[in-house]
Amino acid sequence: MTRMSATRGLCMRTMMELDQSCSVLREYGSEQSLLSKPDGSSTFVQGDTSILAGVYGPAEVKVSKEIYDRATVEVLIQPKMGLPGVRERAREQCVRETCEAALLLTLHPRSSVTVVLQVIHDDGSLLSCCLNAACMALMDAGLPMSHLFCGVTCAISKEGQIIIDPTARQEKECRALLTFAIDSAECNVLISSTTGSFSVQELQQCIAISQKASEQIFQFYRDSVKRRYSKIQ
Amino acid sequence: MGVVLNYGINSYISIVVLYFQSHRNTYADVVITKHIITAGKEQAAPQSAGWETALAPLTGAEDARVTSLRHCSLHAALPNIMAAGFKTAEPLEYHRSFLKENCRPDGRELGEFRPTTLNISSISTADGSALVKIGNTTVICGIKAELTMPPSDAPNKGYIVPNVDLPPLCSSRFRPGPPGEQAQSASQFIADVIESSDLINLEELCIEKSKLCWVLYCDIMCLDYDGNLLDACIIALLAALRNAQLPEATINKETDLAEVDIQKKRHLKINRHPVGSSFAVFDDSIIIVDPTAEEESLSTALLTVVTDEEDRLCAVHKPGGTSLSGEKLQHCINRAITRNKEISKLVDKVFESMKTAK
Amino acid sequence: MRDTPLSNCERRFLLKAIEEKKRLDGRQTYDYRNIKITFGTDYGCCIVELGRTRVLCQVSCELVPPKDSRPTEGIMFFNLELSPMASPAFEPNRQSELLVMLNRQLERCLRNSKCIDTESLCVVSGEKVWQIRVDVHVLNHDGNLMDAASIAAISALSHFRRPDVAIQGRDITVFSPEERDPIPLSIYHMPICVSFAFFLQGSYLLVDPCEQEERVKDGLLVIAMNKHREICSIQSSGGIMLLKDQVLRCSKIASVKVSEITELINKALENDKKIRKEGGKFGFAESMPKERITTLKREEAPVEMADVKETANEIVNRTETPTEVVSSPVLVAMGTAQVGEGIVNSWGLDEDEEDEPQTEDTKTDDVMVISDSEEEEVVILNEEAQKSTKLSKRK
Repeated sequence: MTRMSATRGLCMRTMMELDQSCSVLREYGSEQSLLSKPDGSSTFVQGDTSILAGVYGPAEVKVSKEIYDRATVEVLIQPKMGLPGVRERAREQCVRETCEAALLLTLHPRSSVTVVLQVIHDDGSLLSCCLNAACMALMDAGLPMSHLFCGVTCAISKEGQIIIDPTARQEKECRALLTFAIDSAECNVLISSTTGSFSVQELQQCIAISQKASEQIFQFYRDSVKRRYSKIQ
Repeated sequence: MGVVLNYGINSYISIVVLYFQSHRNTYADVVITKHIITAGKEQAAPQSAGWETALAPLTGAEDARVTSLRHCSLHAALPNIMAAGFKTAEPLEYHRSFLKENCRPDGRELGEFRPTTLNISSISTADGSALVKIGNTTVICGIKAELTMPPSDAPNKGYIVPNVDLPPLCSSRFRPGPPGEQAQSASQFIADVIESSDLINLEELCIEKSKLCWVLYCDIMCLDYDGNLLDACIIALLAALRNAQLPEATINKETDLAEVDIQKKRHLKINRHPVGSSFAVFDDSIIIVDPTAEEESLSTALLTVVTDEEDRLCAVHKPGGTSLSGEKLQHCINRAITRNKEISKLVDKVFESMKTAK
Repeated sequence: MRDTPLSNCERRFLLKAIEEKKRLDGRQTYDYRNIKITFGTDYGCCIVELGRTRVLCQVSCELVPPKDSRPTEGIMFFNLELSPMASPAFEPNRQSELLVMLNRQLERCLRNSKCIDTESLCVVSGEKVWQIRVDVHVLNHDGNLMDAASIAAISALSHFRRPDVAIQGRDITVFSPEERDPIPLSIYHMPICVSFAFFLQGSYLLVDPCEQEERVKDGLLVIAMNKHREICSIQSSGGIMLLKDQVLRCSKIASVKVSEITELINKALENDKKIRKEGGKFGFAESMPKERITTLKREEAPVEMADVKETANEIVNRTETPTEVVSSPVLVAMGTAQVGEGIVNSWGLDEDEEDEPQTEDTKTDDVMVISDSEEEEVVILNEEAQKSTKLSKRK
């Protein structure tokens, strides 16, 4: 059901707004350092999708998993209901490889970096929200990274329209769903995970749109870090 | 420090391993083994003086004394041992030296696939089966159909359950026990490809709404792992599904039980033919097609593109690693489209041969 | 990963402070930390913060066939998970003692106390009943997980709404939330656990121990009680011996605390109901405090899509088009075909080498030297091997 609210000019999307909202990123917010135990933690909220990330590292690693010249990255995604399944494993692999490419792992050999992601609410764009939360948590933990990354999800509707940051309902009705992770250094594609069929032109368009959207998210990262450390002289 | 000098395109391999003990004492013990073979002909090795002058600017050593002539031998075994030793010590440099010449250690071009073999109907107890070999990677897929109740959220559809198994048999990197992350993410990827490409009309698998439907268990097992698992799995799955035959099943109205008629069998109707192509990225710039297991482990990123016969993309799967620009991605997609045509012809040919034989 | 061990001087400091009736965070002996309860967008989801301990609970339901021994009752399933995020000592998929104890206590508190009416969960007797699944995830461990988990579980159960069903003969129609309003569960009472930690052989007790206090405790007493002063369960662990009047005193303290906490839960539920009715924004997104320096929110922002199509088309046109010429496959045997040129794989059948178009002989020869596949050895066995593989491949 759709509800309209006039509080502070924020409004939830209605069915009528779909035409304008297809190229709109939902409102997003984040909070860092909210958990006391992990070395770094953050929540990332995109619309109603909310993910909580906690990072431990560099910490002790089991001898069976240690790598002699770099740190071992482990990612765990816990769904809200039930036990983690094959789908979570595929997402974990995506997040883990992105973190491995972004972190300077050779600075901490024989140690482990563990990223734990908890799904608080899933309303579409889950993988990209996981990536954003993971990046903010890694920043909060102070781990050295060569570049930042962010996730953007695009959905191609049955009519061929491209929708950024779709809600769960839009995801169900779309023909194809593409998630990209973009890096901050050169704005290139780090991860690509797609379902559904689409043409080559649509793929390139989605990549271009994601690159544009990622600029906004990186600006958000900068703003939140600036705000966080604004009180420190 | 080891430096590789790779020489020539048709002539193979001169491995120069220089060990510098200390820069003060620029003593270089140069061990040169060269073995130049061109189609069975043996050429005389170039003069050592030429080698020295060629080496000096490369190594940057002030006096590199070449004391190699006594090591220089034209044994067939020695370069093999040296090559293997270098490969173990510095695998990345070994591969880089080939990539600089636009080829790979096994002799392929950068954009060349390994020979692909397809064989169907090898498992007689399964409803459909296929065996695929891409180079050394061997994958077999078996399909079993069972009767079950349709899921509550889709009462008029059957379902397909793919499962990729990487047993310890195929490679020493897999341990016995529950499926590891690679097997699970491969299973998820295959399930996504089936759904995205609309391979089979799931409504066809339904026999009676909310009561009875077919469930197809696709077990994909890797028998030999040498890289490029996902491509082989997709081809095997496609061929096995085309090969599968389901018996007629009806529900007896009186007893409300299912009855299966084994004599009448029909093939499944395949809507699309997705074919995958895998790529590996080296050093953020060089893209190679169909990586072997060593190339995969040394690469900085892996990419799999699945296209169907109408040149539509069913999946672009890049699970992380270094970044890739839009143009490079486009190159890969074009290569994948060509590969699709190749494999479609292969599958068609195999199935034609079965039909004509009957 | 291992947790940082508690040093001896820290331990002595804590025990000395307890003897002097002082706590680390300045609380009194019987004080609880601040409890904050927030509900999510969908029904049945809530996060409870007890000081810094944070717990997430989600309630979901499913139609399943009932247990044979109880055909007219619904099923309640509890699952508590210690997320590796909560503490470096928690590892995924590890059955530790703490996990088992917490699960057992949660079940005892909520299932055995019969706080939920399971008969109302029956849809078709003997065939379909509702299974209510309660998943509790511990997000941050700062002591007293049991209390936080029980508060979260009972709040989520009170908040949860199950879909409405209509039965016609043997057909069951489940209505979605848009068609008919979902129905809340029927809850008789709200049992809440209160933990007491005992120190120095039972001479001192503390309510709601934080994590460091938990590490130096001697024993733990957990009393589950509801606001009507009915004890639902008592558990004492740690092997300390308690006197009768100590236990009675604890139960009196527990009843006071439970009534406070129950009021807090009810207030939070009321608030949430009011916001939903008025149509305001609800959910975790809203509950993020905005004044904090560590939070930032950005409103909906449009993305420039103007020249996207041109850039995309440019990229596609710039790269070379795919070639139309492809190699054609070679039929090796009935049901087997091969495509591709270049190296021969090390299992190669002899006849493949004959049939395959050999374009560049040089390459194959060179390969034999470089690659590790010891072709020479294979050749000896090859003739027998390929004969048997040929036979097995043909049907």
